Amino acid sequence: MFEKILIANRGEIALRILRACRAMGIEAVVAYSEADRDSLPVQLADEAICIGPADARRSYLSAPAVISAAVVTGCDAIHPGYGFLSEDDAFAEVVRAHDLTFIGPPPAVLERFGSKEGTRRLLATHGLPTIPGSGMLRDDLHALEEADRIGYPVLIKPSAGGGGKGMRMVRSPRELESALKVCRSEAKAAFGDDSLYLERWLEDNRHVEVQVAIDRYGRGVHLGERDCSVQRRHQKILEEAPTPALSAAARTELAETALRAVVAAGYENVGTLEFLVDANGEAWFIEINCRIQVEHPVTEMLTGIDLVTTQIRIAAGEPLGFSQADVTFRGHAIEFRINAEDADHDFRPSAGLVERYVVPGGPGVRMDSHLYAGYEVPPFYDSLLAKLIVWGPDRATAIERSKGALDELLVEGLVTNIPIHQALLSSDAFLEGRMTTNLLDRVGSAAFLAAATRA
Amino acid sequence: MSEATPESHPAEPPEAPASRPTGARPADHEAIERLASELLPALAARLAASGLGEIELREGSWKVRLRRPSNARGAPDAGRRAADRPSRAQPGHEGHGHAPGALEGHRSARSSQAAHSGNGSGPLPVVAVGPGRGSADAPSERRGAVDTHRAVATSPAVGIFQPRAEIRPGARVRGGDRIGAVDMLGVPQEVVAPADGIVAQILVEPGETVEYGQDLVAIELMTQAGASGRPGGGAD
Repeated sequence: MFEKILIANRGEIALRILRACRAMGIEAVVAYSEADRDSLPVQLADEAICIGPADARRSYLSAPAVISAAVVTGCDAIHPGYGFLSEDDAFAEVVRAHDLTFIGPPPAVLERFGSKEGTRRLLATHGLPTIPGSGMLRDDLHALEEADRIGYPVLIKPSAGGGGKGMRMVRSPRELESALKVCRSEAKAAFGDDSLYLERWLEDNRHVEVQVAIDRYGRGVHLGERDCSVQRRHQKILEEAPTPALSAAARTELAETALRAVVAAGYENVGTLEFLVDANGEAWFIEINCRIQVEHPVTEMLTGIDLVTTQIRIAAGEPLGFSQADVTFRGHAIEFRINAEDADHDFRPSAGLVERYVVPGGPGVRMDSHLYAGYEVPPFYDSLLAKLIVWGPDRATAIERSKGALDELLVEGLVTNIPIHQALLSSDAFLEGRMTTNLLDRVGSAAFLAAATRA
Repeated sequence: MSEATPESHPAEPPEAPASRPTGARPADHEAIERLASELLPALAARLAASGLGEIELREGSWKVRLRRPSNARGAPDAGRRAADRPSRAQPGHEGHGHAPGALEGHRSARSSQAAHSGNGSGPLPVVAVGPGRGSADAPSERRGAVDTHRAVATSPAVGIFQPRAEIRPGARVRGGDRIGAVDMLGVPQEVVAPADGIVAQILVEPGETVEYGQDLVAIELMTQAGASGRPGGGAD
C-alpha cells in the first residue's frame, strides 16, 4: 500500500480524497494553486504545497509542477481526482516514469480507452449496443457525409473533455454547417483541441451510467447504475439511483452486460460506462469515464462501499477483496450539485465571500463540500460548491428528506442553484421519474423555475 | 512612491497638471533621467516577478505605467486584455512642459530594454521569473511583494532551490539578474532579482525544497534618496 499520496486537485474532491487517505492511514499532501491557499483541503491536510498560480494550466494542469511536488514531498502516488489530469494517459505515463503510481487505470488502459470512437468500437465487439456515431471529423464535408450516414438529428461532440462544452444538437445539414464552427472554437477554448465527432441524437433520452470496479487480476464487480438525466445544457445537476427509467431486472441486465464487456476489453480500476436510454427503454453505450466521478457518493450511499478507497487499493495492486454477491443495494439516493450560479442571469457563475454557511443534517444526509463561512470562492475554477447527498429507504422518503435538507442548507453571500433543486422536487416530471436530458433546456430553466414557484 | 494596480483598466482621464514653480525644469530633467535609468528597469523586473497586469509609478509630476502583455497571465479574463500591447512605458499626462516626443521615445527604448533583461533573451518579461500573482489574491497576501525598502525574489516553481554561488548577503544585484534556480524535475527555473539592491538574506538553504511563490532571497532596495542601499535600514 502507498505511504504518502499527493492530491492533485481542489475543492470538494480534494477533501474527499484526503478523507479516504485518513481512513486508510495514508499520509496525504494537498497540491494547490495560489488561488486556493485558503481552501479547506489545504487547511486540513497533513501537508500542503503550492504548485503554481491560479491559472490551472500552470498549476493543476501542469504535469511537471504536479510531479515535482510529489517527488519533493516524498509521495509514492498521485491522485488526480476528476477533471484536470485525471484521464490524461501521457500524464499517467510520465508519473510512472518517475517511479510514482497514478491512481486510476494504468497508462496503457487509459490509452486504450482514450478515444471515444475507438472505445465504442472496442466495446461493441464485446457485445455492448453502442450509439451510432462518426470517427474524428476531418472537415465540414466529412461531417456532412457522416451525418447523412448516421441520420439526423445528430449531436456534435468534442473529442477531448466533456462537461457539455462544445456540444450542439443539429437537425439539418444547414444547422450542422453553421454549428461546426462554433463547436470547434468552443472546444478549442475549453480543451485546447478542436477535434469533433458526431453521435446520433436520441429524442427524449435518459442518461444512465453503470459504475464498475475491476482489479488488476481481472476480477470485477458492478455497483449498479446512476440516473443523471437532470441536465442543463449537457451538464448534470442532479443524480439518483436506482434509475426510475428501468425495471429492477433491466437495471441488473444493463449493469451485468456493461461489466462483462469492460472486463473482456481489459479495463482496470473504477470506471463508469455511460448509456443513453431511449423512449423504448433500450440502452445505448456512449462513452466510458476512466476516473472517480463527481456523482460517486450516490453509489456509496446505496452500497456502503467507499469508492475512493477502493480506487486507491486497486491502484496499489491489491485484489478487490469482495465479489458481486457481496454487493447489495439498499434504498434510494439523490445527489444535488450545489453550484454558484445565478438562475436569473442565465446561470452565470458567481464568486465571492461565503458570509454564512449552514449545513443540513439528519438521517441519510451527507454533505461533501469544501465551503466554510468566511471562505472566498475564487473565480478561476468550476462553480461546484457542494454536493448534498440524501438517502432514504425508498424514493419518496429520499425526496421528502431532500426537501428538508435543501431548506436547511444556507449559503449566504453567493447566488446558488438551490432554487432549481427545490423546483425539481416539486415538479411532476421529476416526482414521476420522467426527467429526460433535454427537458430543462426545452422548457427553459428559468421558465421551469417560475412554474414551480407559482405552483 | 508607487502603486500597483492588479488589473489593467482603461486609460485614466487626464489629471490636472500639477502646479509647480516655473524653475522646476532642471529638477524634472534630473528626475526623468533617474526614472529612465534606475526606476524603469526595477519596475519592469517587478512587473515580471509579480503576477500583476499593470504597474504604475508616480514620482513628482511624472507617472509611468507598464502593462503586461495579455497572454502573460492565464486568468480567465485574459481574453479581455487581448488588445493590450507588450510592456511599455506610458508618458504621464502631467508632463506638459516638455518635449513629449523625444521623451516618449527615450522611455520606450529604456523600458523595452528593461523588460528584456527580466529573462535574458525572451521577448516577454514573464517566463519563469516568479509567481503569477492573480488579482484574486487576498490583500493580506503580500509575500514577496516589493515595499519601498525591501524586495523579495520568489520561487518560480515547486522544486529544489539552488542560489548562485556569488549570491551572498551583501552582494549587489540588478533587477532582472539571475540569482539562482529552482530545479523542477531536472529543469532549472530561473530565480530573478525583482529590483536593484543588495542581498540582505537568503531565506532558504541551498538544496531545500521550495514551493511555488515561496520567498527565497531578500533584497534591500537602492533607495531613491541616493543612499545606495541602507542594509538593514527601514525594512520591516
